[in-house]
Amino acid sequence: MSRKALRKDFYMEIRRSLGRFLSIFFIVAIGVAFFSGIRSAEPDMRLSGDAYFDRQNLMDIKVVSTLGLTADDLKALEKVDGIQKVEAGYSTDALCSVNDSKKVVHISSLLPSMNELTVEEGRLPETADECIVDVDFLTGSGYAVGDKITFLSGTDDKITDTLKTDTYTIVGTASSPCYISFHRGSSTIGTGTVSGFVSVLEDSFDMDVYTEMYAAVDGAKELTAFTDEYDDHVEKTIDEVEKIRKAREDARYQEIVDEATDKLNDAKKELEDAKNEAADKLNDAKTKLDDGRNQLENAKTEISNGYAQLEDSRNQLIQKQNEVSQGYEDLNAQADVLNGKVEELNQVKAQYEALAASGMTDEQTQYTLQVMYAQITEGDAQIEAARTQIDAARGQLDSGQQQINDAWAQIEQAQSELASGESELASKEQELNDAQAEYDDAKSEADTKIKDGEKKIKDAEKDISKIEHAKWYIYDRSTLTEYTSYGENADRMKAIGEVFPVLFFLVAALISLTTMTRMVEEQRTQIGTLKALGYERHSIAGKYIGYACLATISGSIFGILVGEKILPYIIITAYGIMYQHIDTVLIPYNMYYGMAASLAALACTLIATIFSCFNELREQAAELMRPPTPKQGKRVFMERIPFLWKRLSFIWKATVRNLIRYKKRFFMTVFGIGGCMALLLVGFGLKDSIFDIAVLQYEEIQLYDGNVILEEDASSEEKEETYDKLVSDKRVEETAENFLQQVEVTHGKEKQDVYLNVPRDVNEFSDFVIFKDRVTGERYELDDSGAIISEKTAKMLDAGVGDTVIIKDDVKGELEVKIAKICENYIGHYIYLSEDLYEQLYGEAPEYNSIYYTMKEGKMDELEKVGESILETDGALSVSYTNNMQQQLDDMLGSLDIVLVVLVISAGMLAFVVLYNLNNINITERKRELATLKVLGFFDNEVSAYVYRENMILTVLGSAVGILLGKILHQFVIVTVEIDSAMFGRNIDFSSFVYSFLITMGFSFFVNGVMYFKLKRIDMVESLKSVE
Amino acid sequence: MKDFVKLEGITKIYKMGEVEIRAVDGIDFAINKGEFVIIVGPSGAGKTTVLNILGGMDTATGGKITVDGADITSCNSRQLTSYRRNDIGFVFQFYNLVPNLTALENVELALQICKDPLDAREVLEEVGLGGRLDNFPAQLSGGEQQRVSIARALAKNPKLLLCDEPTGALDYNTGKSILKLLQDMCRERGMTVIVITHNSALAPMADRLIRIKNGKVSGMEQNSSPVSIDEIEW
Repeated sequence: MSRKALRKDFYMEIRRSLGRFLSIFFIVAIGVAFFSGIRSAEPDMRLSGDAYFDRQNLMDIKVVSTLGLTADDLKALEKVDGIQKVEAGYSTDALCSVNDSKKVVHISSLLPSMNELTVEEGRLPETADECIVDVDFLTGSGYAVGDKITFLSGTDDKITDTLKTDTYTIVGTASSPCYISFHRGSSTIGTGTVSGFVSVLEDSFDMDVYTEMYAAVDGAKELTAFTDEYDDHVEKTIDEVEKIRKAREDARYQEIVDEATDKLNDAKKELEDAKNEAADKLNDAKTKLDDGRNQLENAKTEISNGYAQLEDSRNQLIQKQNEVSQGYEDLNAQADVLNGKVEELNQVKAQYEALAASGMTDEQTQYTLQVMYAQITEGDAQIEAARTQIDAARGQLDSGQQQINDAWAQIEQAQSELASGESELASKEQELNDAQAEYDDAKSEADTKIKDGEKKIKDAEKDISKIEHAKWYIYDRSTLTEYTSYGENADRMKAIGEVFPVLFFLVAALISLTTMTRMVEEQRTQIGTLKALGYERHSIAGKYIGYACLATISGSIFGILVGEKILPYIIITAYGIMYQHIDTVLIPYNMYYGMAASLAALACTLIATIFSCFNELREQAAELMRPPTPKQGKRVFMERIPFLWKRLSFIWKATVRNLIRYKKRFFMTVFGIGGCMALLLVGFGLKDSIFDIAVLQYEEIQLYDGNVILEEDASSEEKEETYDKLVSDKRVEETAENFLQQVEVTHGKEKQDVYLNVPRDVNEFSDFVIFKDRVTGERYELDDSGAIISEKTAKMLDAGVGDTVIIKDDVKGELEVKIAKICENYIGHYIYLSEDLYEQLYGEAPEYNSIYYTMKEGKMDELEKVGESILETDGALSVSYTNNMQQQLDDMLGSLDIVLVVLVISAGMLAFVVLYNLNNINITERKRELATLKVLGFFDNEVSAYVYRENMILTVLGSAVGILLGKILHQFVIVTVEIDSAMFGRNIDFSSFVYSFLITMGFSFFVNGVMYFKLKRIDMVESLKSVE
Repeated sequence: MKDFVKLEGITKIYKMGEVEIRAVDGIDFAINKGEFVIIVGPSGAGKTTVLNILGGMDTATGGKITVDGADITSCNSRQLTSYRRNDIGFVFQFYNLVPNLTALENVELALQICKDPLDAREVLEEVGLGGRLDNFPAQLSGGEQQRVSIARALAKNPKLLLCDEPTGALDYNTGKSILKLLQDMCRERGMTVIVITHNSALAPMADRLIRIKNGKVSGMEQNSSPVSIDEIEW
C-alpha cells in the first residue's frame, strides 16, 4: 500500500463500490451493535441495579432470630470481621382495611442509615404516631397522605403489644430498595400476601428485643450486586457471621431460659408461700370453726340444761303452787275454822253482851261473865292470834304466790331467753355451716389452685426444657422480595444475549465474509494484472485486507458506539416498568463485549478476505487473467423424479437448477431469512406465550371469577352465613368450597411454596378448575390415589408422575404424597388433594376456608359488587378476582412489548440486509446471464421474475427453516425468561406464524422491489464482454 | 427485398466529461433481405456499437434505423425489447449460454418468449448437435457452445441474425465450421445474417461487405458471386 497508485486504487475502490463498503459497514455495525448491545444489557442491568442499591444503602446481610435480638447481639455482630456497620430494627406484619377488605402490610422501623427509603411524596415520619407508606400500596388503596390509618394485628394478640399505638397519620409515600418490584412478600396473617410496606420510627415499636439486624459488609458497596464477586464477598462475611452464630444463639437461649427459670423459681416460691399461707389460713379457719362448733355444742348443752332446769323449776313451781294452793286451802280452812271460832266467839260475845246487857250481875253471871269474858278475850286473843297467824300464813302464801309468779315470770323469761338462745344457736350453727362450706370451698379451691400452680410450674418447667434453641437466620440480599428476580432477569437477558445477537452476528459475519470473497473473485483479472505487473502478493492482498479492515473496524466502532448505548437503554427502560423504583440507568461502554464482537467480526472478514485473496494469488497471473473455469452445470436430484420434473415448466426447471447451483447463496439466504423469520416468530411467539397465559389460565384452567377467603377465626355460623349469602346471590352462578393453604413442598433438594387446594366436591370442581395434560389435552379427575400437581411446580421440584413429594406442615411435620398427575397450569403453584387423601395425610378433615365462585353470564360487571357484599359478612376475610390478576399480569409483562419491538425491528433489519446483500451479490454474479436474457428479448419484469422466482422460493424455504428455528428458539427463550411463579405458554399462535411469514415476505418483496431497479440498470452490452 | 435493413446517419456519442467520443459517426447502409452481410473493420472502429444499436441493445444518439419497415430508433425500451424478442437473433462472441441449462434448455430458454419459434430439437440437430442435447455448456467444446448459441438465435425464427465475432474465441477449423453453418442457414432459410469480424479474409463469402473505420462506413461492396467458406483460407 506504500505505492501511490495502489493507494489511489484503494480509495477509488471504496468510492466506486460504496454500496458494498457500506453494506459491510452496516452489517458489521448491526451485528456488533446487537452482539455488544444486548450482551451489555446484562452487566448494565446489574450496574444500574447496583447503583440504585448503593445509593439507598441497601443492607448486605440480614439477621433475624427466632428469639429476637438484643443489644449484645448487635455488638457481637459489629465485631465480626468484614462487617462494616450494623443497624437493628423492628418489624411486624399487620392488617389494615382497604376498600372493605383487609390487606396485610409489613410495618418496620426506619433504620438510621440503611435501606434508605426514597420519599415520593410528603416526608418521613417524625413522631411515633406518624408513618410513611409504600407508594405502590397507597395508590388505589383509598388512603392519601394526611389520612389516618389503623392497624390490626391479625392474630389473637393485640397490635399494641408490638406497637405503641394502632393508629398512625400517613405523612408521606415512599419506595424502598427492599421492594423493587410489585411483590411485597408473604405473611402468616390475613390473606398471606403482603400488599405494602409501612415505615415508622423506632419509637413506635414497643418491643423488648429487636426483630432483625442489618449489616453492611466492608467493601461490598464497591462490588456490583448480582455478580459472583459480590455474592462471594458477602458469602465470606456470612461465613464469619456464622462463627458467632452459635455463641449468640446459646447466649440468647440461656438468657431466655434463665429469665424463665428465674420466673419459675419465683413462681415456685410464691406458690410455696401461697401454699403455706393458705394452709395457715385454713388451719386457723379450721380451729375457729372447731371452736365455734364446740362452743355451739356447749351452748346447746347449756340450753338443753337450761330447758331441763326450767322444767325442774317449772315442776318445783307447780309443786310449790300446789303447796301454796294447799296452803291457801288450809288457810281458808283455818280461816273457816277461825271464822267458825269467831262465830262462836261472836255468839259468846253476843251471849256475853246479852248477859252483860241483861244486867245480871250475878256472880254466876258475873262469873260467867268473867269466864265468858276471859273466854272472849282469850278467844279474841286466840282469834287474833289465829288471824295473825292466818294473815301471816296468808302473807307467806301471798309472798309464796308472789314468788311463784315471779318464778313463772322468770321461767317465762328463761324460756324466751332459751328460745332466743336457741335461735341464735341455730343461726350460729348456720353460720358455722356456712363457714364450714366456705372453708371447704376455700380448701378445695386452694387445693385446685395449688394443683394448678403446681401443674403450671411443671408445665413451665417442661416449657423451659422445651424452649427451642434460638435460631439465627442469616440472609443475604436474596431474602428481599424480587431482589433475586432482578438478577434473574439480568441472567435472562444474558441468555437472550447469548442467542439472538449470536444469530445476528453469525449472519453478519457470513454476509461480510461472502461479500469480501465475492469482491476478491470479482477482481480476479485485476489481481492477475497486478501480479503480472510484478506486485508482491501482500501489496495486492493489502487492498482487500485494508478494505475489509476499514469497513469492519469502522462498522464495529459505529456499532459499539450506538449499540452499547441504545440497546441497553431500551432494555433497562423496558425492565423499568417492572422495577419502576430503580431509577438509575447506567450504561457504560463494555469494552469486553465490544472488543469481542469487533475482533470476531474482524477475524471473520479478514480470514475470509485473506483466504480468498491468497486462493486467487496462488494461481499464475496468466491463469488469473483468463476467466475462471465455469462451474459445471449439474442435474439436480429432482430431475431423477420425472414425475415431478416433467410437471415443472421450463422456467421453473431453470429456477430449481439455479437454486441448487448457487449453494452458498442458497444456504445464506435460507439462513438469513430463516433467522429473520425465527426472530419474528420468537417475538410474536413470546407475546403469545406470555399474554396467553392470562387467557389460558383464567379462561381454560381456572374458570372461577372470584375467590372468597374465609376468616380463620370466624365461627362456623359466620362462615355459614358468608357461604349462604354467596350461594343465594342471584348474580352468582356456582360456588365451590375449598381448603386453600400455602405449604412448602419439597422433593429431594428442591423446594417450592405451593398452594395446597382440597376441593370439597371433586365432581363439581371441574366447573372451577380443569385438570388436563397440556400436550395431549387429556382430562384428569382428582382421586385418592395421589395428588395432582401443577406443571411448573413439578418442573421446579424436578418431580414427575409417580414420584413422592413431601408437604411440610408446621404441625404435622413432613407428609409424603405421591404425584398422580401433572396438570397444565400457568400462574402460581398448586397441589390438589382429594378430601380423603387429605384426611389420610393430616389425620383430620380439612377446614374449608375458601369459596370459589363463578358469575352468571352477563353479570360479570357486577363481580366486584358481589365481592363487596360478601366482605360485609363476618365470615369473609378477603376476596380476590381473577380478572384483577389478569390485569396485573398484563401490566407486569407489558415491559416485554418493547423487547418485542426491538426484536421485530432487528429482524426486519436483518432480513433486509441479508436479502439485499445476497441479492446484490447474486445479481452481480449473474450479470452476464441476465444481460443475455435481456438481449434475448426478456422484458424487465420477466428478467426480474427470473430472479424473483428464486428469491421467493428461498424466502419460502427460509421461512420454513425459520419456523423450525423459531420454534426451537422460542422454546429456549421461553424457558429462560420464565419467572419462577409462572409457566409461560409453550405455544405460538397460528396468527403469529402468519404475521411472521407475511412480514418476512414483506421484507423480501421490499428488497426485491429495490432490486428491480438494479436489474433494470443492467447493461446488455455487458453480455458482449468477455467473461471476467 | 430491397433495403430490408436501413441505417441513416447513425451516430453514437459518449460524453466523458468535457470530451465527446464519437464511437459511431454517421453510418449509412442498407441491406436486403436474405443477404449474408459481413461488417469488417479494425478494433474500436465502432462495428460492435453499430451492431448493438441495430440489435436494439443500445440506442443511437442520432440517425434512423428501419428494419422491415419499422423505425426502431424511435422505439422506447419496451418496444426495443419486443423487437429483440421477435425480430433479432443474437450470436455472441463468448456464446453467453446459461451455464446451468443443457444445450436443449438453452435453446428453449429463448423459445419461451417467442411468438413463432422453431422446434428446439430440430434446430439443434440442424446445427449438428443432435446427440448432445442434454449436455451442459461446460461439457461442450467452444464450437459446440457456439452452435448452441446459434441454434438459440435461429430457433427464435428472427428476421435478422446478428453475430458479433462469432469465431473470435474459436480455433480456425471450428471457426470455419461455424461460419459455414451461418452461411448455410442464410442460404437455406433465407435468413438475413450480419456477421461482425475483424478478419477481412472472410470478405469473399459475403453477399455484401461493409467496411467500417473510425465510426464511419469506409466502403461497401456487393458480391454477386460469394464463395463458400470452404474455399477460403486465411
